[in-house]
Amino acid sequence: MTSAPSTAASFLTTEASRALGEALGDGEAVARLRASGASALDTLPMPSPALDRPWKYVDPAALDLDGFSPPGTASEAWDEALPAGALLLRDGATAGRGPSIDGLALADFAETPDGALDRLGEAVAFDGDQLTALHYAFLRGGVLIQTQANAEIAEPVRLTREYSEAGTLATPHTLIVAGVNSRLTVIEEYRSGDEPLAVLPAVELLIGPGAVVNYTSLHRWGARTRVFGEQRAITERDADVRSLSLVTGGRLVKSHITSSLEGRGSSSEMYGIAVGAGQEHVDFYTLQDHIAEDTRSDLLFKSALGEQSRAVYYGLTKVGLGARRADANQENRNLLLSRAAKADSDPVLEILTNDVTRVSHGATAGPVDEEELFYIQSRGLTREGAVGLLVRGFLGEPLDRSALREGVREELSGLVEAKLTALGSGT
Amino acid sequence: MTEAPLLEIDALRANVAGNEILTGLNLTIRPGEVHAIMGPNGSGKSTLANTLMGNPRYEVTGGEVRFLGQPLDGMAPDERARRGLFLAFQYPVAVPGVTVVNFLRQAVNAVRGEDVPVREFRQELFQKMELLKVDRDFARRYLNDGFSGGEKKRAEMLQLAMLQPRMAVLDETDSGLDIDALRTVADGVNALMHENMGLLLITHYQRLLNYIKPQFVHVLIDGRIVRSGGPELAEELEESGYDTIEAAASPA
Ligand SMILES: Nc1ncnc2c1ncn2[C@@H]1O[C@H](COP(=O)(O)OP(=O)(O)OP(=O)(O)O)[C@@H](O)[C@H]1O
Ligand SMILES: [Mg+2]
Repeated sequence: MTSAPSTAASFLTTEASRALGEALGDGEAVARLRASGASALDTLPMPSPALDRPWKYVDPAALDLDGFSPPGTASEAWDEALPAGALLLRDGATAGRGPSIDGLALADFAETPDGALDRLGEAVAFDGDQLTALHYAFLRGGVLIQTQANAEIAEPVRLTREYSEAGTLATPHTLIVAGVNSRLTVIEEYRSGDEPLAVLPAVELLIGPGAVVNYTSLHRWGARTRVFGEQRAITERDADVRSLSLVTGGRLVKSHITSSLEGRGSSSEMYGIAVGAGQEHVDFYTLQDHIAEDTRSDLLFKSALGEQSRAVYYGLTKVGLGARRADANQENRNLLLSRAAKADSDPVLEILTNDVTRVSHGATAGPVDEEELFYIQSRGLTREGAVGLLVRGFLGEPLDRSALREGVREELSGLVEAKLTALGSGT
Repeated sequence: MTEAPLLEIDALRANVAGNEILTGLNLTIRPGEVHAIMGPNGSGKSTLANTLMGNPRYEVTGGEVRFLGQPLDGMAPDERARRGLFLAFQYPVAVPGVTVVNFLRQAVNAVRGEDVPVREFRQELFQKMELLKVDRDFARRYLNDGFSGGEKKRAEMLQLAMLQPRMAVLDETDSGLDIDALRTVADGVNALMHENMGLLLITHYQRLLNYIKPQFVHVLIDGRIVRSGGPELAEELEESGYDTIEAAASPA
């Protein structure tokens, strides 16, 4: 029996990984990555708050994997009638799927022909650290979303993942491969119950030449769920990726979000919204990595923090030697709605070429501005109403800029609204 | 003439950041009257406007203000607005994320104390936008966010038009407006003015007063009104500046 590494938990062993793969009947690509992840479990370190800057404010020990078991292998009977472009997974198993859409592949890895998963692990590598190794070693609930060249998928793809098995490690993986000049919108929604849950999600976005992908993740985790996630987009020539992360629940939600602008003329927009309450802790690390010429990136992350909640933002804009005429903007804003709430914000620029079009960044953290409040109150709104309006406007900006269609935007602002109402911030 | 005053300011003193800026200011405005206050930079004109509206940064240390017979002391700004007081700001604040139309709707509902039906509201809004020659897609922009100086002033006038106050204070609404915009705004204000309403114009320039004609002109220096007169006073100021008035007003 292989001994578990001292930093990983006792049930999450190399044997357990192999057993999971056998029980699930892995295809070739998944089996390869699972084995790679498992073999790295013993050798790769856990990220360290002292050594790894993105981990400065969160010790991975807080994930406390001791006692968590590998994902289960049960598969559900399909019981849901869903609209076209929708896929529902419960505890990592497909539980419902809508009718298929022309030009779009949307399926669990288990139902995907092997060749289609060639690029699994290209954007999120198994050997980043022990957490990515764990992700692949215990991968369950992989979903491929792939567009054919020139396909324009009008309806947003809705991927919903619910978790209710207490005490398990959840490892959702979403692989998005956009064909040349295709158009795709994906909304991935995560939900969990009140039991303790550890989640290591990975999202890979491989955006082909000229393709445009809009990816939104809704983090509606339960009060005792801890999440350490990786999301990375790689853009080919003239590709555009836009992403929005909306966090309205979870004890600890840490997301690393990267856009690697490898193709000339490609662009990335990243938006983030967090509404914090209670003891919730949201931690975003972002990387706008300008590699090719004429690349453009924009970023706006905003948190509204009530009660004792906390937000951490550490963001890096890198402009490489070859990224001439890069245009990059990075903004993080935090609104403190209570004295006990706390925000740390640290945007960083790393520029290696002299020839940039624009590179800018900004960060703020503070309570609602008194002059803004007075202005709004002078138009008849009560102080409470004015605070409410300011907070909604504050969070509405990244929502507006995410360019989601009207119905979806309403749905998302509804989630924000519900959380704010629960917080009792304005009417 | 015997009509009850809208606004009575009685020996008002106010501090900003610990400094006394208003030093005993008196002014009475009756329904139907247009007053203008002129005065040098830093004399306390915006301090007066902010104090009237109840900005918490401005501390009243003496005297009294009554609006429609009610003392305003300690009243929240929103309560003043709901009673019919309006301030067009010299420097309107940007509210990113809140569109002009959304903001106006909430303000109108708050001031009127009822939910105005959307259709009715839109109709009224478009009509007022036409009056002030404001472009329609203005309504969908974030309030004052990235607005030019002139656009901000027009947005203030649009709010005035929608809220229909009893008493409006316009703090340098003319600055930042080109001559055409000034005429449009002045025409709009004249159209909105009525016999039950009072208007207090704060300005540095005679040119606004050519379009909105005040019956009373006051000179504010060092936190109080040192001279009052008719429209001819504004012309006199334009010609000879504040220095002569200041010299005449200061105690020998
Ligand atoms: N919020 C504030 N904090 C500190 N000082 C202030 C503040 N507001 C006004 N002051 C000071 O009070 C004095 C009067 O300012 P006020 O804005 O009332 O002048 P004003 O007559 O409106 O001038 P202007 O013609 O330039 O608009 C000035 O010395 C100004 O610096
Ligand atoms: Mg002023």
